[in-house]
Amino acid sequence: MSKVKDPFVRIVKRDKIHPLLKVLFYCIAILAALTVGGVLLIAIGVNPLVLYKDMFTIGMLGSRFAYKSVEGLITIFVPLLITSLALSLSFKMRFWNIGGEGQFIIGALAAATVALKFGESMSSFSLLLLMFLSAMLAAGIFGGFVALLNVRFKTNETLMTLMLNYIALYLLRFFGETQAPWNFYLSDESVRPVFQKFAETAYMPTISIGKFSLNISFLFAVAICVGVYFYLKKTKHGYEISVVGDSANTAKYAGMNVKKIIVRTMFFSAALIGLAGGFYVSGAKVLSTSVTNNVGWTGIIVAWLSKLNTFAIFGVSLLISIMQYGAQAASTQFPIIDSNFADLLQGIILFFVLAADFFIRFKLVFRKSAKKQGGKAA
Amino acid sequence: MAAEYAIELRNINKSFGSVAANKNINLKVRQGEILALLGENGSGKTTLMNMLSGIYKPDSGEILVDGKIVSVNSPEDAKKLGIGMVHQHFKLVDIFSAADNIWLGAEETTDKSAKGKLSQIFLRNKRFTEIEKTAEKFGFQIDAKKLVKNMSVSEKQTLEIIKVLYYGAKTIILDEPTAVLTVQEIEKLFEILRKMKAQGHSVIIISHKLNEVLAISDRVAILRKGEYIGTVNTSETDELQLTELMMGKKADLNIRRSKVEKKQPLLEIRDLTVKNDEGAVAIDHVNFYVRGGEMLGVAGIAGCGQKELCEAMAGLRKIESGRMIHEGESIVGLPPQKIIEKGISMSFIPEDRLGMGLAPSLSITDNMILKKYKQNHLNPFVDRKTARKDAQEVIAELEVVTPSTEIPVRRLSGGNVQKVLLGREIKADPNVLITAYPVRGLDIHSSYTIYNILDDLKQKGVGILFVGEDLDVLMALCDKIMVLCHGKIMGVVHANKTTKEQLGLMMTGALDLTESDNGKPVGIAKDSNIKEGVQ
Amino acid sequence: MKKVLSIFLALVMVVLCFAACGKDDANKDDGKKSDFLVGAVYINSQNDTAGYTFAHHNGITKAMEQLGLPKENLRIVDNIPEDTQQVSEAIDKLANQGCKIIFGISFGYIEAFAEAAEKPEYADILFSHATGYKSNDKNFNNYFGRIYQARYLAGIAAGLKSLELGNNNLGYVAAWGTEYAETCSGINAFAMGAQSVNPNAVVHVNKISTWGDEAKEKAAAEALINTYKCCVIAQHCDSAQPQLVATDGKVFGCGYNSDMTAQAPTAHLTAPVWHWDVYYKLAIDTAMNDPENFMSKVGIYYGGLKEGFVDISPLSENCTAETKAIIEKVKAMMVGGEWDVFSNVQLSIAKDGTITKTTAALKDNKGAEVISADGNTYFAYNKDTGALEAVDGGKDACDGVIKGSMNYYVAGVQEG
Repeated sequence: MSKVKDPFVRIVKRDKIHPLLKVLFYCIAILAALTVGGVLLIAIGVNPLVLYKDMFTIGMLGSRFAYKSVEGLITIFVPLLITSLALSLSFKMRFWNIGGEGQFIIGALAAATVALKFGESMSSFSLLLLMFLSAMLAAGIFGGFVALLNVRFKTNETLMTLMLNYIALYLLRFFGETQAPWNFYLSDESVRPVFQKFAETAYMPTISIGKFSLNISFLFAVAICVGVYFYLKKTKHGYEISVVGDSANTAKYAGMNVKKIIVRTMFFSAALIGLAGGFYVSGAKVLSTSVTNNVGWTGIIVAWLSKLNTFAIFGVSLLISIMQYGAQAASTQFPIIDSNFADLLQGIILFFVLAADFFIRFKLVFRKSAKKQGGKAA
Repeated sequence: MAAEYAIELRNINKSFGSVAANKNINLKVRQGEILALLGENGSGKTTLMNMLSGIYKPDSGEILVDGKIVSVNSPEDAKKLGIGMVHQHFKLVDIFSAADNIWLGAEETTDKSAKGKLSQIFLRNKRFTEIEKTAEKFGFQIDAKKLVKNMSVSEKQTLEIIKVLYYGAKTIILDEPTAVLTVQEIEKLFEILRKMKAQGHSVIIISHKLNEVLAISDRVAILRKGEYIGTVNTSETDELQLTELMMGKKADLNIRRSKVEKKQPLLEIRDLTVKNDEGAVAIDHVNFYVRGGEMLGVAGIAGCGQKELCEAMAGLRKIESGRMIHEGESIVGLPPQKIIEKGISMSFIPEDRLGMGLAPSLSITDNMILKKYKQNHLNPFVDRKTARKDAQEVIAELEVVTPSTEIPVRRLSGGNVQKVLLGREIKADPNVLITAYPVRGLDIHSSYTIYNILDDLKQKGVGILFVGEDLDVLMALCDKIMVLCHGKIMGVVHANKTTKEQLGLMMTGALDLTESDNGKPVGIAKDSNIKEGVQ
Repeated sequence: MKKVLSIFLALVMVVLCFAACGKDDANKDDGKKSDFLVGAVYINSQNDTAGYTFAHHNGITKAMEQLGLPKENLRIVDNIPEDTQQVSEAIDKLANQGCKIIFGISFGYIEAFAEAAEKPEYADILFSHATGYKSNDKNFNNYFGRIYQARYLAGIAAGLKSLELGNNNLGYVAAWGTEYAETCSGINAFAMGAQSVNPNAVVHVNKISTWGDEAKEKAAAEALINTYKCCVIAQHCDSAQPQLVATDGKVFGCGYNSDMTAQAPTAHLTAPVWHWDVYYKLAIDTAMNDPENFMSKVGIYYGGLKEGFVDISPLSENCTAETKAIIEKVKAMMVGGEWDVFSNVQLSIAKDGTITKTTAALKDNKGAEVISADGNTYFAYNKDTGALEAVDGGKDACDGVIKGSMNYYVAGVQEG
């Protein structure tokens, strides 16, 4: 018989972990990431404390226009939050919608079409309503179409949504770069092709609180967050989504129309992302080819980091927005730090948080401690 | 090999979180004996054996192999120590041949020469003959080139056994090997086990079926709620004593069968033909009926159309031809939802228990409401309040072991999963209950609980179709037994007028009673709701 | 677990120590008198080592150095795409920092800059937008340069080379053609420069329809050499690819943006270049010392050879001494304001350097008059109808046409 030695370290699944310990792990991870980032920053001659301070206060400290930082944060937070929530709907069903980018663009494009075509002739309220409805409908059909192909012909939704991202992007670029009499998306004023600014009726209304003006879309996003929570947790639709995601066979056995559920959920998922696109252009007042700001991709990260938990999605997307906004705000002071470094820092933090996630689910058992245990028992 | 005991476990403890699965267990396995490990569901049998085979590591305690203290950190280690385990859920690659499945985990060759190493890299055709040779040594018949996905359950199990033998296992652990086998297959398996014992192998067989334990083992070790109760010699014990040791109390081993007055046929099946997933005919022009207050047993070798029949009646499978009449109304072509609403409830326990009927990641509460969440169309919200109440009732009535109603079903042990499934079907208050293998993998206590529940339902006038595998149970519990063979009905017999031998012959197709019954058509009720000539 | 934690805590301590030291150093540096902050929004990375963003970054830092402003006083938000929302956010960040003048270098920033300038809270901040056409009378200007003047000079160098080689075919790799006045005026100026010394010169334009794509630039230059046997390859695109192709094809070339002699020593003649620091120095200086009069002193900036804002790179050894003399002469005429390219006066220059002025209408390659013989009317094609129409403003329309509405090629230019 061969003699078997204990391995130096083993990975053991944890059964339970105290919620406080969980929080502690995440805090340690963020601190560790900041430490690593700090070493890098010192190496290039930047004081990390100054940078971190500005980053996590999104540059509000000692600023003349601190309220502008909050406004700016909200403009990147709202689309990310809505997109992540929407993605969690389809992910919960194990339907891999990675077409957030494309659906966002289609939503933005639809809203812009309405804004440019009817901006002059409609009242603000009805125009905005029409913009957002058409954004949802267009994106919903764009995404629902993939689900339809999936249930009819068993096409792969991952590939389909991925490829449609590029179709949407190049469609947008086509409108953005083609100067022609029919192309109402472009400005008449400019000789170079630039997108036409919307009429004022298409602007997202804001609520003024002193100097600070709160974009209404923020309130909608919070409402959508609560709505998605109730939709998934309390409604029959939400229940169907979790059953289909868990076991399609069981869903069929229970008499559910699985195909219908898949198409419907994907439609809602895409429609919500389209709405986020509509909100965004209405706030920006004009289209652009980089309208998505990568929310379709970042949203996937947010959804998974949050384990598809609706309220965690709120927290994680807020954190990522603060990092994105704050890193840029902080790095303006240091000529040596460009946006790539800010991205790098975000990457380090994400990496450590994922590592913490691993240590929350598993623990390492070293040989020494195993021996000790054995000794005690003997 | 001087040590008296092939395996010795000393003071083994293992906890999962706050639950102690094994408490201070001492167990000895002699060289060349068949030891049965007996215990109810959740008594810690599988956990203990998983530690022996390197899947878990004990929190404390010692494992001795041939008298020496060893540490088993992985299945790889166990393999080196000559311990092999055949799990309840087979660990085979479906698209590989039998030989390749064995080859996959084969030990590195001792031949360290370049040629030897090279032979490791390439798949040689020799592997097929080599494996067949090993099989022959132990008296197995196996086609080494057959793909696993084309194998029957019994063949897969045989392959698993050959695998551990090929890897040189001296001690073989079988986790509930008979749960998935037919009577005939079980006999064959026991033959093999005896042969292995004769060649000096030690065998540990995990089971909760008393008759089998008594038939095969030399000694029986009993676990109860994670604790070691003791070991008895098989020759000196009987069913009653074992049950008492296992359950900690005296038990009544008689299955109750109430007499209920005959009622109208509730569900009538005429000329039903159904195809399986591969497109072959699975149910072939079948006639039968179930009356209210009657339990009709269905006997048959595994995979001869039971699943397709159940699915067809639940609306999950397309019907090629024939009629299904429920209380005078056709249910052919109705969607599953409508059939559920009519009060026809179907529960099929597949081999993996979770495949159909339950959503593993959802809580007990959420699973409880699976079939009726749609009730009250006007309310868009799921009624979890009632579901929670149902869940609590099922947990209480069927003695489901769970910390709460909100635990995901996959975290429950196999028996408890089944109780949840069956509990839900009963809660749905059906008038026809189709239940397939409801006690598959359950211990005695749980099984009896379920038999009694079914009998209670029958008394209430529910028509029950009971698809079973244990002929003793079918004969004791059901009123009539219908025997299927390759999708055809071999006859319907009265349970108290038949014998195991007769049923066995019909199951294999050797006896066909459909033609010998004085021209009286089999499976067609005298007081049928179906008016002839009306299609 | 404890061990891991202690190692981690030790690390944190070390970092904090370092950080504390770092802070001291930073404080020492801050003793400067000036706290005037300059903001900039870049389309690419500030750490680029070539290209458009690099040229502007270089210009700003050079100007600040000359004005004695420390490097730290430049606040940058970079990698900002032409998305109004994102540019607005970038402007907010720079305003938050306290920047008093904010530059935006890319054309697509125009809307965000125009909006920001109108915000009352930003009334004391100056906004300056490169290559745009919008402005206001308080705190928002735009700036660009008469690069066509430099292109005319490069055209002379190319024309003389074609005479020398006896090959009248010149090639021009252009990002865009008549779609943009910027490219169109550059092509015309180059052609007119070449024709001033070689009346038979023909400029073949190969349009790649993008501002930067090295593969397309290379392919376009190769096509010009293979199809038209061009002997000089000029360019209006980002990379040095066309010059490298010229080297391989044993022909000559005129680069753009930077002196490309280093990349193509045997082919390169000269390149029209920008001196962004000239503008940035003026703008920052005025913003710092006399912000009230920024619009009157700097205003809508359109500098040329005279201001030193545009120029050509030093002529390489591939040009003759006569070439140099002629170019100096013509340059002096433009610096002195005696003559400019787009007017009713055309130059013809003999080999010995004699310059003859001819007053005549300027005609496009379809034979239509685009500048009237009296020099008082400028024409452009109507985008929708395609008809040639006079541009409002008479003689004063000149700059507007060059910057905005020129959409024709002069005689001797062929596209395709």
